[in-house]
Amino acid sequence: MLKSLFKAFINLFSKPQTIDYPLTPIEKDKQYRGLIEYSEEDCIYCLKCEKACPPGAILFVPVENPSENEKNKKALEYNYNPYLCIYCSECVSACPKPDEALWQSNIKAPIGVKSDAVNTRWFGIEKLHESRDSK
Amino acid sequence: MSKKTVEIPLGSQHISLLEPVRFKFECENEKIIRVDSDVGFVHRGIERACTTKFKFDTISTVVARICGLCAITHSLSYTVAIEKLLEGEISMKAKYLRILLLELDRIHSHMLCLSHTCENAGFEAMFMRIMGDRELIMEMQELVTGNRVQFDFITIGGVNRDISSVKVQELRKTLTVLTQKIEGYIEEFENNWSLSLKFKGIGALSLENAYKFNAIGPLARASGLKIDVRNEIDYLPYDKVGFKMQSRSGGDIHARNTLRLDEIRNSIEICNNILDGLPEGEIITKIKGKPLGETIVRFEAPRGELMYYVKGNGSAMLDRVRIKTPTFACIPAFSDIFVGQDYADAPAILASFDPCLSCTAK
Repeated sequence: MLKSLFKAFINLFSKPQTIDYPLTPIEKDKQYRGLIEYSEEDCIYCLKCEKACPPGAILFVPVENPSENEKNKKALEYNYNPYLCIYCSECVSACPKPDEALWQSNIKAPIGVKSDAVNTRWFGIEKLHESRDSK
Repeated sequence: MSKKTVEIPLGSQHISLLEPVRFKFECENEKIIRVDSDVGFVHRGIERACTTKFKFDTISTVVARICGLCAITHSLSYTVAIEKLLEGEISMKAKYLRILLLELDRIHSHMLCLSHTCENAGFEAMFMRIMGDRELIMEMQELVTGNRVQFDFITIGGVNRDISSVKVQELRKTLTVLTQKIEGYIEEFENNWSLSLKFKGIGALSLENAYKFNAIGPLARASGLKIDVRNEIDYLPYDKVGFKMQSRSGGDIHARNTLRLDEIRNSIEICNNILDGLPEGEIITKIKGKPLGETIVRFEAPRGELMYYVKGNGSAMLDRVRIKTPTFACIPAFSDIFVGQDYADAPAILASFDPCLSCTAK
């Protein structure tokens, strides 16, 4: 009892346990989970990442002017929703060319604001995706 | 309800509750004489979603989101069930890493419970101390898996991140610091006068009643009932990492708290043993096929036995996923403990059960 009183008294003069965040930056390990990054040039359009993604945050939809990648025979475009992503990296482990076509960074998603129209844009992409499947 | 009694509700929203649960206490003066409980406030239909919306290989991330505290136990139970159905064998290293995460999870869950019990008993300084030190564990988990809460570390066939020797050193250092802190808590919980006043002899569950009401997990072990799934399963090599069954007699809040501290000590020992003798090998083995047939898997979550029943029909969609969670099994015992106690002690007693309602209602 006396000991804990003594400790409580000492604590009055010790530094706080919390990090003084905006002034002291937080150290980020390289392996911390964050957004998925993609390189269009190296992609072979096997669509394995799309199938592996649990929340459906990666969708390939048909576009009119596709990239000049010769593997892209079906004229598809990669779409990624950072707000739907759960950072599980199942897509990266499913990818046949990890670290080249698809990899995980340690950056978190930016704050989504209303003017970005995140949802409306994504719902449109989902509709296009459904029409691709029905074809 | 007679004229002499008063009905006092606790929940579904209450200052002492972490999660929504409703207890209706029928009180005679200060004493509780009858309890009625309702747990279904956070139902999210996860079992249904597992059989209609998601394919079997993505479900381990879905079931992990049932609960923030025992996320790893949920995803591990499901993954082991699928591995049993597909008859895949995983490497020893993956098994050891799975135990490491399971035990880290247990330590931080128990620390949360201890701090919350202290807070509900009116000892906020202790709450702050324990929560502050719990951050060490959270950082360790983030270092190993990359995430603080939802790890997504376990996949079918093994684990998806390896642990480097630098990280092993860091984990060892943190575990040493943590051991000292835990020793400090044990002294505090045993000797502190105000904590003893609030915890000793309050909310007791006898060994007989623990049997009668099917109590499991720390609640049963604090009453002297020696049941622990870690002692009974063979999918993880618990016998090789230094697991020791902990039990206490008494069954009151104090016994439950000290039992949790004993378990934390044992878990730290297990973690140290794993870091010392981590075998070499692959962390993931490819397992192919679609689940066909049915299986049951049991694991010891921080709060007791967690059971998964999985039935597959040979396609990517499962027929049934049934989850039986520890808190649900303990509710009859909870209700029994409250009878005869003072209403003023109810929040502290409730916190000492460590109920997880998002698991229960799922």
